[in-house]
Amino acid sequence: MSMTRSEFNRAAVLVGAGVVVTGGVALKDRRPREPRDPTGPATARDLKPLASVPQSDNEDPLLRMERELARAMAKPVEQRKWVMVIDQRKCVGCHACTIGCVTENHLPPGVVYRPVVTEETGEYPNTKLRFLPRPCMQCEEPPCVPVCPVKATWRRPDGVTVVDYDQCIGCRYCLTACPYGARTSDFGRYYTEGAAAGAPTGENRPVAGAAPHMAYEETANNELGKSWSRERHQSPVGNARKCHFCLHRLEEGQLPMCVSTCIGRATCFGDANDPGSLVTELVARQSVYTLLSHKGTNPRVFYIA
Amino acid sequence: MNSAPSLFRPFRLTNTTGTPYLPKELPWRKILWFVWLVCLVAGSTGVVQRFTQGHLPAGYGSYVPWGLWIGLYFHGVGMAGGAFALGSLGYLLGWPGFQDERNLRQVIVLAVSAMLPAFFAVWLDLGHLDRFQNIFLHPNFTSMMAFNAWMYYAFLIIAGVCWFLSYQPNRQQWLKPLLCLAALFSVLFPSQSGAFFGVVDAKGYWHSALLPMMFLLSALTAGGALLMLARILIDASADQPPGPEEQARSHALIGRLRWVTVVGIVGYFVFEFAEFSVALWNPYLHAPALELVLFGPYWWVFWVVHLLLGGALPLGLLASRWRLGWTISALLVALCFLSARLNVLIPGQAVSEIRGLQEAFQDERLRYIYHATPMEYLVGLFAVALGMTAFVVGRRINVAAHRWLDPRSKD
Repeated sequence: MSMTRSEFNRAAVLVGAGVVVTGGVALKDRRPREPRDPTGPATARDLKPLASVPQSDNEDPLLRMERELARAMAKPVEQRKWVMVIDQRKCVGCHACTIGCVTENHLPPGVVYRPVVTEETGEYPNTKLRFLPRPCMQCEEPPCVPVCPVKATWRRPDGVTVVDYDQCIGCRYCLTACPYGARTSDFGRYYTEGAAAGAPTGENRPVAGAAPHMAYEETANNELGKSWSRERHQSPVGNARKCHFCLHRLEEGQLPMCVSTCIGRATCFGDANDPGSLVTELVARQSVYTLLSHKGTNPRVFYIA
Repeated sequence: MNSAPSLFRPFRLTNTTGTPYLPKELPWRKILWFVWLVCLVAGSTGVVQRFTQGHLPAGYGSYVPWGLWIGLYFHGVGMAGGAFALGSLGYLLGWPGFQDERNLRQVIVLAVSAMLPAFFAVWLDLGHLDRFQNIFLHPNFTSMMAFNAWMYYAFLIIAGVCWFLSYQPNRQQWLKPLLCLAALFSVLFPSQSGAFFGVVDAKGYWHSALLPMMFLLSALTAGGALLMLARILIDASADQPPGPEEQARSHALIGRLRWVTVVGIVGYFVFEFAEFSVALWNPYLHAPALELVLFGPYWWVFWVVHLLLGGALPLGLLASRWRLGWTISALLVALCFLSARLNVLIPGQAVSEIRGLQEAFQDERLRYIYHATPMEYLVGLFAVALGMTAFVVGRRINVAAHRWLDPRSKD
């Protein structure tokens, strides 16, 4: 190599510095971070659900979960540990949870937070159907978080992984990192694309032609406690989207929509830090399993098969 | 033995005789302009479509979120890194044909020209084009994507400084040290492209430690081929035919890159064989992504584009003494090694960890099948035109800068 000694020394210093800086940068963001969400007593909520409904011993699980929810919300956010337990023996595959979620979050075509997978086992005629609702697993070690290049997704103190739609650049790296396929991208489509539009007057009445989509599809949803309108292709169009356990509903003392709409009471939700909660009881007493446990993500959605 | 077989014959700098690299009677400059124009005009329609209709005309969805553009991106940055690593290494080691600053500047321009279309492709792939700067303003360095982006950024700055210093004979004592750093980065970012996929535990097919090595090797191979092709086309389309000294330099450079490409192709296929054979050795092992690569709907991408056109045929041509064959090989390798990227990218995404998920909620964007659409191909053509434009403009800047920056030119 035709380098002088001083050139070689400079090269060694520069390359060494380059390696050190690169390594330092790689390690920098691996340190534990301060929570991005507010914590402490200010996050506690004084909710009074079902004040007019007297409590009974054998009340509907939905009523019990609502009372437990109020109890959990009275604690600061960092003391809550949201968990979902899905009893597959009770799930009838009605997809009410899927549709409830679509309407609650105003999900466009191609975006789904809670599909229900149909599993068929055995051979005809000895076959058996089983249903597997698949919300976001709210993993304790979510693989979608570290891959985000812009810190647009993180895990809240209560364990729910959320997305900042204003920060997300729509690179879809998190979609590939989720082994459960729980993240979907909003490509800006509408269910009512090309729908017939009525004409108030004129010779073509009653149909004026096809509308790009119906206006109601642009009405804002309330995900993550903020009003998101899809008007003029604003976020969440172009973003990665995912189930967030209906955090906006929890703040108002309402259970996640998929829990409220479950006709078989197959989906239970609550605070695992509350020893008297239904979900704690189910996880402790029943034989539960988690999806793709070998991936080491430690999901907070448990299944009873 | 009187004469060694041509494969092992030592290279001689003065060996400028033999068949030409391209038929001299053809108007290569006009042909290149025509190719550029076709790519630009056809490609522009795709770009317009992307800006007016967003992602709707694209074929990717939520279960296969990355398609052709991401393949082009990784191919482009890989070629840029590979070409720069070889060009700078040749300069530092004093390889014949590589030692002069003019060639170094051309290598820098070529690397930047390969990177620009790659960045363009990945930019168009974003859901929010207006937020790309977030990756620089709010980077998360646990993400290989942010790490990669910053690596390009650092590389471009250092390569720019090297380009400037190459005109400054009085400050040459910093050129080689900085070039060492830039060369390190140019080797790092193609490897990181492999790590980009390798760190994704969710995809069994991607989660391999061999992937960064394979990406680096394919980057060096395709980058070497691109460097060779660029030199051949520059010589063929020059206003004046190159003089004997210039010819000798070109010949030396092409000769060296010819062997780099041969070694790269062989090395890549050895790595690929290692990866595939381990996965397929156990007859009871289920490797759905590999089965997709080998026997899926895009079997021809592996067997025809990758193995035949990107491997066997260029190897045969490069081993021969037919110089036009070397040119064809360089073109084939530079183009067809894109399939090496696509064969990692697409099948890795096209397998679900949860059986029946695709059927659970039916939608055209919720499928584990991906077909690139005409818009994606057209944008790909535009990216090629963009790269060609950047290279031509860069070369002109090189000439202009020579007048302004190099004090020797004012003597």
